[in-house]
Amino acid sequence: MTNFAAWSVRAIQDGLAAKDFSAKEIAASSLENIAQTDKEIHAFLEVSENLAYEQAEKIDAAISEGKFAECGFLAGVPLAFKDNMNQVGTKTTCSSKMLANYQSAYSATCVEKALGAGAIPLGKLNMDEFAFGSSTETSFFGPTKNPWDTSRVPGGSSGGSAAAVASAQACVTLGSDTGGSIRQPASFCGVVGLKPSYGVVSRYGVVGFGSSLDQVGPLTKTVEDAALALNAISGFDARDCMSKDIQTDFTKNLDAGVSGMKIGIVPAFMEAPGLEREMKAKVLEAASNLEKLGATLVEIDLPHAQAAMSAYYVLGPCEAFSNLARFDAIRYGYCDPNHGDLGSQYEASRGKGFGMETCRRIMLGSYLLSAGVYDTYYYPAQQVRTLITSDYAQAFEKVSCILAPVTPTTAFRFGAISDPMQMYLSDMFTVSVNIAGNGALSLPVGLGADSNLPTGVQLISAQFKDENMLQVAAALESCYDVLRIAPPFAEGKVGA
Amino acid sequence: MTQPLSEKDVRAIAQYVRIGLPEEEIGQLTIDLNNIIESLEPITAYNLNGVEPTYHPIDGLSNVMREDTEGTSFTQEEALANAAKHQDGSFVVPAILGGGDAS
Amino acid sequence: MKTLHEVLKDWEAVIGLEVHTELTTLNTKMFCGCKLEFGAAPNTHTCPVCLGLPGSLPVPNKAAIESIVLAGLATNCEIEKESMFYRKNYTYPDISSNFQITQGPVAFCMRGWMDLEVDGVAAKERVDLAEAREQGSYTTRIGITRIHMEEDAGKLNHVGSTDGRIAGATHSLVDYNRCSTPLIELVTEPDFRTPEEARLFMQKLRQIYLSLGISDCSMEEGSLRCDGNISLRRRGESRLGTKTELKNMNSFKNLHDGLVYEICRQAEVLEEGGIIYQETRHWDPTARHTIMMRLKETADDYRYFPEPNLTPFVLSDAFIEGIRTRLPELPDEKAKRFGTDFELSAYDVRHLVEHRSTSNFFEACIEAAGAGAGGAGAGTGDVGNVASAKPLAKPLANLIINDVAGYLNANDGIDLADTALTPARAVELVRLLVNETISSKQAKEVFAAILEEDKDPQVIVNERGMEQVSDTGAIEAIVEAVLAQNPDKVAQYRDGKTGLMGFFVGQCMKAMGGQGNPKIINELLAKKLG
Repeated sequence: MTNFAAWSVRAIQDGLAAKDFSAKEIAASSLENIAQTDKEIHAFLEVSENLAYEQAEKIDAAISEGKFAECGFLAGVPLAFKDNMNQVGTKTTCSSKMLANYQSAYSATCVEKALGAGAIPLGKLNMDEFAFGSSTETSFFGPTKNPWDTSRVPGGSSGGSAAAVASAQACVTLGSDTGGSIRQPASFCGVVGLKPSYGVVSRYGVVGFGSSLDQVGPLTKTVEDAALALNAISGFDARDCMSKDIQTDFTKNLDAGVSGMKIGIVPAFMEAPGLEREMKAKVLEAASNLEKLGATLVEIDLPHAQAAMSAYYVLGPCEAFSNLARFDAIRYGYCDPNHGDLGSQYEASRGKGFGMETCRRIMLGSYLLSAGVYDTYYYPAQQVRTLITSDYAQAFEKVSCILAPVTPTTAFRFGAISDPMQMYLSDMFTVSVNIAGNGALSLPVGLGADSNLPTGVQLISAQFKDENMLQVAAALESCYDVLRIAPPFAEGKVGA
Repeated sequence: MTQPLSEKDVRAIAQYVRIGLPEEEIGQLTIDLNNIIESLEPITAYNLNGVEPTYHPIDGLSNVMREDTEGTSFTQEEALANAAKHQDGSFVVPAILGGGDAS
Repeated sequence: MKTLHEVLKDWEAVIGLEVHTELTTLNTKMFCGCKLEFGAAPNTHTCPVCLGLPGSLPVPNKAAIESIVLAGLATNCEIEKESMFYRKNYTYPDISSNFQITQGPVAFCMRGWMDLEVDGVAAKERVDLAEAREQGSYTTRIGITRIHMEEDAGKLNHVGSTDGRIAGATHSLVDYNRCSTPLIELVTEPDFRTPEEARLFMQKLRQIYLSLGISDCSMEEGSLRCDGNISLRRRGESRLGTKTELKNMNSFKNLHDGLVYEICRQAEVLEEGGIIYQETRHWDPTARHTIMMRLKETADDYRYFPEPNLTPFVLSDAFIEGIRTRLPELPDEKAKRFGTDFELSAYDVRHLVEHRSTSNFFEACIEAAGAGAGGAGAGTGDVGNVASAKPLAKPLANLIINDVAGYLNANDGIDLADTALTPARAVELVRLLVNETISSKQAKEVFAAILEEDKDPQVIVNERGMEQVSDTGAIEAIVEAVLAQNPDKVAQYRDGKTGLMGFFVGQCMKAMGGQGNPKIINELLAKKLG
């Protein structure tokens, strides 16, 4: 059976429009493929077979009535959600024991929009617990494997989302990115990972980690698929005060090329300690490709970016500490049985319900917000945010897009990084974007010369100018003939 | 810059955030937290005098509100659906020792 | 323990109030579209937001923001152009997300004030004020530190203990219907010096909020709640003493009594050489004492930080001025107008405007009296009404302050509009009294009959044959007969036992079936005996 999840969005839609196959066949093939591959990959925490067939039937009914055009940007596209996105009819576990049995009581806006655009929901994807991590190793349900090398991590926290695309289990997945959680796993798994500007996609219904940093975005095989998916899930939502009313067609510049465009390069990033030689080489190669396409490279300075990691590890944990206070075993969540008083029920339920990394972040945030300490870290971190934002604003007066590394290394082996501080370093090139609220994406640029593993480069755009980085990404993408699906899983075709 | 956390501090923080931790975790956790806190020093390295904080990353977005109109509410059954314990339409908590602050 | 009066001779009480008011007149909660309703079945007005479900986000209710600005303008506050919401983090089962959304150092309303006029017995408590000692009344200005916007918590019902107390309960039931009810918290400066001032402030604040229509201000149902901070210092001392926080003062009486007790308790402790601990105490109105709830060894650390899910607020002058146009006539302004237009005493106007229902009723009566007087007929402006109704204003005020208010108090919570007493009937009743058709004693009977039988006053007077006899000739005959029947008492009276006048009046009234005009009877008796 053809695995349609290996196809592009447009190929699927063209085939459905031509009635070459039905949405039901798409659902069936995707579900069967997941059944075959997920024992090895473990990207899925839950497969929503019934919901997939229900949706497929709706699409097929619309097609038979000649109403395919009304079905939406993602009609018939097999898609899966990171498991921090509420979807009625599924559990939303955040890969935590705390929420192992939590049934979604409502649906997130991005879920509703994806389904409203006709996507076929395949299920919920593994992640680091509450999105705290860069490898999915903190998942209560066990890690997801990197489809390119199953002894390696897929990255995180949206590791399931990246691995599902790289193993052709889903055509599009949604992830969330607080400090790099879409871009880093996309780079590790060789797929496109798009973190839109803060405010482009509603956060309503997506379990909050760092509320001023979180943003939802798609992971796909191609830049065009990412732009189409973003068209489907973006837009104003009255339920998220931070949602911005922008009406951009993110595909509009995909064919525009980069001739005459100014692209920024940050020398300090290129010289950053820890950036592996092969990763640096990939960024330089991309820069040279962009020049060949007619773009001009401009060196820019982000003088405060070196404080971004510190600011991030203040702001993220502070917001997370407060956001995760709601998990108190009363209304929902793991409740340790047989406690005679509330205090011991709280402590046992949270102590056993949360993994170690979650506990660390909660405790760190609580400490950083406490009296006396607040003025030493939290307040300066918000001031540093002003400086970083201003650095980017000045840079984007000179360039329309910035080219940078995504991650310092390729995917590492399971268990290779046990020190939390080392793990945090894999976010070194991504967190400043979240702090400033810009858009950024990770574009796969082939295998690393030394590791022979997927690599990516990062393209960053000014806030609410996401179409610029998509324009550059689409042009750059044409320079590479790289596999988007890991070889063992690449029987399908990427599309016509 | 702050003093490194002691194991006693870490126990107190755990108690504040209502996380019961096995005693054997405290030592490593104290080391980890101190390492992380040490890594936060760069933000104290700038002269931040007169720099306004940015609490919200969308510049100029203000006054987002909704009209005072009724939306959909859960039924009682839906509200209680994920609760470990409920009784007479309410959530159940075991005996509360010590006060709270319900201002 | 000493009495308050004794304590205040040596000690100065320093009191501040924190007043929480639920904006009960809104349709929905502070941050979600759930309906505001008191007394619904538990957890039937909840949604992802107010249940604190993972992934939900708050969106502020515009009408609540407008209400707090209205409250600020009505209490002379400065409206801050820029403010933000903050999270106050604490773990307790009644607050679903385990943080309360409230405001930070800058609230929507800052630096307001309210003037209190204190007279009567209450003025005597201010032994320090010459004005109070000499004139028996004084005016004091209470500073309002701020009014901020926040959300209420849910309700806990404690099971397995006596009287539903938390102590000794085996478990508690949590209902989140009230969770995220819009709440405004007003904090005063520590400007009160007597419990009576605090009570007057609360009564006046309640009148203001009621006239703004932002809350039903029910202390019983908890939509108006008040905590007090109390400390004592020796007269002449400028340094503040250690304060205690007093909770559970859920009526004006409890507020007053709780503060009185706490002041006297602190004085006793201090005079015995003891120490006041900073603690939260609970007023027990049954046992009539305060009990310690919680010792505050250190300041609570709520780890406040700006709420990242809500935008900042930037209020324009146009917005603020737009709200200002919605300000109704406030009780102080109304009282001033009543005083000027109807020449009513300060006492009368204060009591008339104490409740919106009575002040509105008074105004409706004035209008009815003006219309009934004919004047220029329909279309007569207020001025005509006021002029023609003016002679009735004082007796109407008496009727409303005494009889109507008494009836409303006795029939808890009854709405005047649901009774048989219409403004037209009240005016008719007062007219019968003013033109001496009935006596004031009979007026009380007619008042009761209107409410019981739903009839017009004149009908009641006719049915009961109550019309007062004012025919001097008829009364004179009765007076002469009574005097003739009691020659010994007449003699005693003339010997100086003037207290017998009451006896003679009573005898005359008895002979006339109670319908004699007491004024004429008195006059004739005085003439004949003198």
